[in-house]
This record gives sequence, C-alpha cells and structure tokens, in this order.
Amino acid sequence: MIWALLGLHLIGCAVIAGIGDGLGNRVFAVAAGAPLVTSIWVIGRVGDANATTAQITWVAGLDLELAFRVGPLAALLTLVVSGIGVLVFGYAAGYFANGIAGVGRFTATLLAFSTAMVGLVWADSIWTLFVFWELTSITSFLLVGYKNTDADARLAARRALLITVAGGLVLLAGLVIMADSAGTGRLSEMTNIGGTSAAVASVLVLVAAATKSAQIPFHVWLPGAMAAPTPVSAYLHSATMVKAGVVLVALAGPIVGDAAPWTPLGISFGLGSMLWGAIGALRHRDAKLILAWGTISQLGLMVALLSVGSAKATFAAIGLLAAHAVFKAALFMVVGEIDVRTGTRRIDELSGLRASMPLTFAVALVSAASMAGLPPTLGFPAKEAAVEAALGLAGAEKAVLLSGVIAGSVLTVAYTTRLMIGLFGSKPDHTASAVAPSRLAMAIPIGILGVSTLAGFVGLGWVTTAVRAAAVQLNPSAEVYSLLRWPGLTTALFISTGIIAGGLAVGVVLARQTMSEPRAVGAQAVDELVAGVLHAARWTTGRVQHGSLPVYLVTMTVVATFAAVPFALGIDTSAVYLSDNGTQLVLAVLAVAGAVASTTVTSRLGAALALGAVGLAVAGLFVAHGAPDLALTQLLVETVVVVGFVLGLGHLHRRFPAADQVWVGVRLTVAGMLGVAVGAALIGSSSAPVGVPPVEDFVAESQTTGGGNNVVNVILTDMRALDTLGEIMVLVIVAVGILALAAPSRDETPALEGEPT
Amino acid sequence: MIATRSPIVRLGIRAASPLALVIAAFLFFGGHNRPGGGFAAGLVLGAVVALRTVAGLQRSGGATTVLGAGGLLAGAVAVSPLLFGNTLLDQVVVSTDLPLLGTVKSGSAIIFDAGVTLIVVGLVMALLDGLSATDLAKDPGTRQSAS
Repeated sequence: MIWALLGLHLIGCAVIAGIGDGLGNRVFAVAAGAPLVTSIWVIGRVGDANATTAQITWVAGLDLELAFRVGPLAALLTLVVSGIGVLVFGYAAGYFANGIAGVGRFTATLLAFSTAMVGLVWADSIWTLFVFWELTSITSFLLVGYKNTDADARLAARRALLITVAGGLVLLAGLVIMADSAGTGRLSEMTNIGGTSAAVASVLVLVAAATKSAQIPFHVWLPGAMAAPTPVSAYLHSATMVKAGVVLVALAGPIVGDAAPWTPLGISFGLGSMLWGAIGALRHRDAKLILAWGTISQLGLMVALLSVGSAKATFAAIGLLAAHAVFKAALFMVVGEIDVRTGTRRIDELSGLRASMPLTFAVALVSAASMAGLPPTLGFPAKEAAVEAALGLAGAEKAVLLSGVIAGSVLTVAYTTRLMIGLFGSKPDHTASAVAPSRLAMAIPIGILGVSTLAGFVGLGWVTTAVRAAAVQLNPSAEVYSLLRWPGLTTALFISTGIIAGGLAVGVVLARQTMSEPRAVGAQAVDELVAGVLHAARWTTGRVQHGSLPVYLVTMTVVATFAAVPFALGIDTSAVYLSDNGTQLVLAVLAVAGAVASTTVTSRLGAALALGAVGLAVAGLFVAHGAPDLALTQLLVETVVVVGFVLGLGHLHRRFPAADQVWVGVRLTVAGMLGVAVGAALIGSSSAPVGVPPVEDFVAESQTTGGGNNVVNVILTDMRALDTLGEIMVLVIVAVGILALAAPSRDETPALEGEPT
Repeated sequence: MIATRSPIVRLGIRAASPLALVIAAFLFFGGHNRPGGGFAAGLVLGAVVALRTVAGLQRSGGATTVLGAGGLLAGAVAVSPLLFGNTLLDQVVVSTDLPLLGTVKSGSAIIFDAGVTLIVVGLVMALLDGLSATDLAKDPGTRQSAS
C-alpha cells in the first residue's frame, strides 16, 4: 500500500507536469487525488499501535535502503500532511485566477512537495529520511521562488534553500553518527546511545531541526519565504515542512535524548524562538508576516517540550502539533482570502471586515481562539497539557520552562488579539474596506478547517487516542495522559486564565499603537554573507584565472621545476650515460636545436616548422629505441598538428609582433627550465628501477587473454582498457571544450545578481 | 583560399583520400598484431578530414555526432560485460578463418578500438570547427573574421 500511494503521488506529479497547463484550475482537482486517497487510507490507521512497513534494499552492506514505516506518529502526521494537502489544493483553485500561466509547473511542484513530505514522515531508514528531508527543501525553494521574475522572491528562495540545505547536511552527519553508534540505519530499531557520539549527534540533530523549523538564529528564512503564494505558505510554512524539524526532534529524542547538550540546547532554541517569534509577531503589520513569526514562536514551544523529553511534555508537544497544523493553516488561508478579496493584507489598512466577511471572521475567530489556547477549541486542551507538562518538571528545568511558556503564551495571546482586531476590527479613521465577492473554492477549505478546530474539541476522545498513540511510540510512559475538555480547577487552569487575561490586555493596548516595523536584520546578514562569499570567489578567480596564457605557462613551469627537484636529487649518477649510439645523439641535438629555434624565429610558420622538427626528431628517437608503435603515433600526431598549425596560422599575421622579440630571453629560460625539470625527473625515475619490468608477463598475457601479438595495443585495448577509456573520455571533454570555446557567443549570459557591471 | 588558388593541392588531396582510408583501415585492423591500432587509424582519418576541409572538399561540423558515437561505442563495450556478470571491460575473443586474410583472431576490443578511432576523428573535427576551417577554404574576400 505504501508503494501504491507513493506511486500515485509520482504519477500525479508526472501527469500534471505534462498536461497540467492545459487544464486551467481543474489541475488542482487532479493534484488533490493522491493526497485524498492517502488521507483516507491513513485515517483508519491513526491511533493504531501496529505499523505498516515497506522496504527495498539497495546495498545491503551499507544499509542503503528505502525503508518506510507508518506507525502511530507517522499516521497522525500523514493525516496532517495529506489532509491539509487536499484542502490546500482546493483553496488554490480559488486563490489563483483561472488560466494563469505556469499553473501546471506550480501544481506539480506542490504535489512533489506533498510526496516528499509524506516520504519524510514515513521514512524509517536514515538515508530515506535524509533524501526526503532534502527533497522538501528543494521543492520549498521552487515554490518560494515561484514568481521567478520577482527579485525578492528569488532572494528569499535562495536564502531558504541555503539555510535548510545546510541544515540537511548537518542532519546527515548527525544521522550517520547515530546509525554508527546504534549499529543500525533503521530509526525504529535504534535504542538509546550514549557517550560522546550521542552528545555530538544531539547537537547536530538539534541544529538541523532548528534550520528546518525556523528556530532562532536560523529563523531568518521563514519571513522571507512569505513571498510564496499563500497556499504555499499555508501548506509548507505553517502546517507541514516547518514541522519536519519538530518531528526530527521527536524521533531523535528517544535515541540521543540523554546526552548532556540535548535538553539545554533544545530549550534554548525552543524558548528563545517562542519569545522572539512572538515579539516579532507583535511588531509586524503584514498579517502573513505576523502568522509567520507566530509559527516560529509555536514551533519553539514544541521543540522546547520535546527536548525536555518527559512523557507529559512529549504528549503535549504532539497535541500542540496537531492543533497548530489545523489552526495555522486556517489562519493563513483566511489572510490569503482577505488579500485576494480586498487587495491588501496589512492590518493597518483593513477595516470593517467583521461585517463584510462574516464567515471568514467566524473561522478566524475559532482558529485564533485555538492559537491563544481558549476553549472550546482544540488549542485549549493542548495548551493546558503544555502548562501541565511544565508544572510536572522539577528544579531549574521547571523554572525555565514554566516561565518561558507563561511569557510566550502571554505574548501569543497578545499578538493573536492584535491580529484579530487589526484584520477584522473597524477603525474610526478608515472607511470600510471594499470586498470582492466570495469564492466557493476558498471558502470551503477554510470552513472545513474552522469546523475541524471545533470538532477536535467536541470529539476530543478520538484526538486523544491519536495523540496518545503517537506519544507512546516515542515515550511509553505517555500511556496515562489524556487531553481534557475540562481539567478541573487545577493550577494550570489558573495559570492559563492569567495568561489569557494578561495577553488580552497587552494585545488590546498594542493594537491601538503604531510601531515601527522591524527590519529583517538577520535576513540581511545572510544575504551579505552570501554576497561576501560570491565576492571572495570572484576575487580569487580573478587573481588565479587571469586569462594570461604566458603567465599560466610560467606558473606551470615554475611549479613543475620545483616538483622535479625530489626526482633530481634521487638520480643515481653511476647509471647515467650519454647515449647508446651516435644516431640517438644526432637526433637529440636536432630536437634541442628545433626547440631553441622555435623560441627565437620571427616567422610564425617558422616556429611551427621548428616544432615539427622537434616532433620528428623525437619520433626518430623512438625508432632508434625500437618502439615502432610510439614512433608511428608520434609521426601521425605531428602530421595532424602541422595541419592544425596551417589552419591556425591562416587567421594570424605571418610574423610575430615586433614587441614579442623582447621576450625571447624569457621564453628560452622558461622552456629551458621545463626541459631540464622534465629531463631530470625522467632520469631520476628511471635510474633507480625497482624490481624486474613485467615485460615478459605482458607479452605472455597479451597472447593468451588478448589474442594479439602487438603487446602495446593489447595493453591499450584490453589489459589496461580502463585507462584508455579514461583517456578517450578526456579527449571527448577536450573536444567539447574546444567546441564550446569556439562557438560564437550567441546570447550574452546575463551578469550574476549583484555583480558589478 | 587554398581551394581556389591551388587546383593541384585540391586534386592531390582528392586522389590521396581513398589511399589514406585504406591505410587507416590497415592500421586499424592490423593493430592487434603490428604497429597501428585505433588511435593511429583515427589520426590518419583525422588528417584526411582536415586536408579535405582545408581544400574545401567538405565542410567542417558534425564533430558532436562523431564524438558522441565514439563515446557511446567505447562506453557500451566497457559496460556490457557487466550485464553478463563479468567484470568491466572484460573482452570476448573470437577466432575465425576468412578468405584472403587467413585466421583472424579478434575480440570485443576491436569495437572498443573503433570507439577510440571515432573519438580521435571527432577531436580533429572539433579542432577544425574551432579554427573555422571552412572559412579558411574560402576566398579571403568572402571570409568572415573569426569571432
């Protein structure tokens, strides 16, 4: 079933990528098919402690495999991913005007993201997890940068990609350490590991989770990612992809949770993000940015709870995760609808929407209540469980987490209040905003999510079963906990009442204030870092690849001369003699004379002929040494080179430029240095032979296995054919390089972004 | 230029081409037992192509096709033994009796060698392309400056 569902997703992607553009907005209905089937399948598995598995082994010895396991946690997450996926596709059909260009590309990418996300939550092997983790980053990059003509969107997409993919690499390191210490690549089979490796892995995993779940200081990509169309923000950047980090913390907790850095670092990330995210949400006036910063804050709470690792905290975190996915997706969709119907989503520009968009207001009210943790919504029991979990701790952990949760929650209630007043309230100095007619495709998914938030509270028993089963998978002691509609007059309830009262007061006051919007300092820092790296790269390239052929040659020669020194020192002088016979001597003198002549003559053709003489003399040396194969090849190469020279010289003046004659001395020196260096290296390496040359073996082998009498060619095409294969591939690359260099530049490549022109 | 100024060169190249082809074939097939082989044959063919292009007997171009064919051929020979469970580049030797040539022992190595030949020819063709050899064959007046 797992393969069938993944296959269905992939077929959907392929079909939409192929013919999606021709379907108009009906393409979203096609895209919703695979997530719909998946959510129907998984709804029966939610709360079921038994897991469904599927795997294909690729390389058994390396544990390289594609392994999936749909346990209770994965089932709950799949319901979130695929269920909200269906609603997002429905919503997108209303959000986008029918017949916009590139709808097929967009939808295929969104479905590809959905596929990657499903694979991520199902993954059991660390390799599978890593692959799907990175796939979500890549699809997210494509979706954030969907408006690829918008420079801001491209910049935001690149920023998101760099941060999340860098986090992915950190994750890979952490996973490998975990698998190595645990002795298995299956997450479900790993048990608690200890020692230094656990400490290192825990830091790596938390950093990776922080990049993906936008925890400070890695949160800077998320506000920028709001450049994406709202369906994308609702899906990726609130309900699913940013949850991946939280899920990772949940999965890794039982494995590396006992390591010393785990809880302190996790709480630092989590509470820091919770507070700073909430403060960010209070300062912005763009409703989408408020929600994005709110997401940073909410995810922080989940990360903090999961890194504490107590059964109650884990249970509360899973409950919050489910509730957050529903209300945050709903709120994003509400903001998107407001944006589409009024033309703005800034809370200081909107007025009177409570009257003009009553249904949207109702859903927003319910979802905002859930976000603030008010009954009768799903957010209330989840937030209560979180406060209970903080109360259940002891010592410094309790003090830090409880104060953090209280402060964060007060701010959450405050920004929620401010958002609601800003979006829907009537402002005395504004006329009521003009509102376009409602679109059914947008209203239905929003309505379903709003009802779900209420239904989750009414049918809390089913939600509890699902959340409890998922929490038990991570921590068996979570068996005893429940989400409660009415917890009784507990300490937690009093704290919550205080939080809500305080938050409302702050929110109402701040809603009347006009604060300066914060600048995206972190995002700027990332962009400057990227620009700095690019600048350094350009600077280095400019110095190293300056394009001056003579300087290249001199550099290479100098390096070769130095490299030859060790060989020259190893020359065994007693084994060196001038020549075997007079022929060799004559040919050698000819070769040297040709080389000297080629550096001094003033005619280009003369230089070419002098080089030809060198080649012929060398070929003669080969013959004198009894190597006809080499001589033949050398002669043929010389011939072709001469033809090449004729061609090249046809484009040039007959003589070298007069100014060139100044450089004759330099040319002679450089050529002489290289000749001496290579000569010394050759003499050095051949004057001290080690062992007997394997000539006899080669001759025997060439006739038995190669079936030929020419040893040289049998070596080339059979015994050392792999070398030959590599060499001819070099020839191919050279040829392609020549063609590319010589091709007239048909279109000027546009300058890199930010590059000085 | 060369083509128009020197009919002798042109005629000579035209007459020599078939001979050079025979030499290339000789080197190619003889390489197993005598000096020669795919590389040498490729160089001879490359020289033929170069001369014919300079003399205006044919146009330069098509290097990519030849290169691609050669690369695929050599690559296929290299990889195909894997399909039969043998090691990379494992070779098959076939011995047959042919009229005129006597016993010919050959192997899959000769196909590999053919790939080498094609790549060498392709490289020369790419050079000709890069140096705008076709332009060179034309009259100086009509020649376009190399970009």
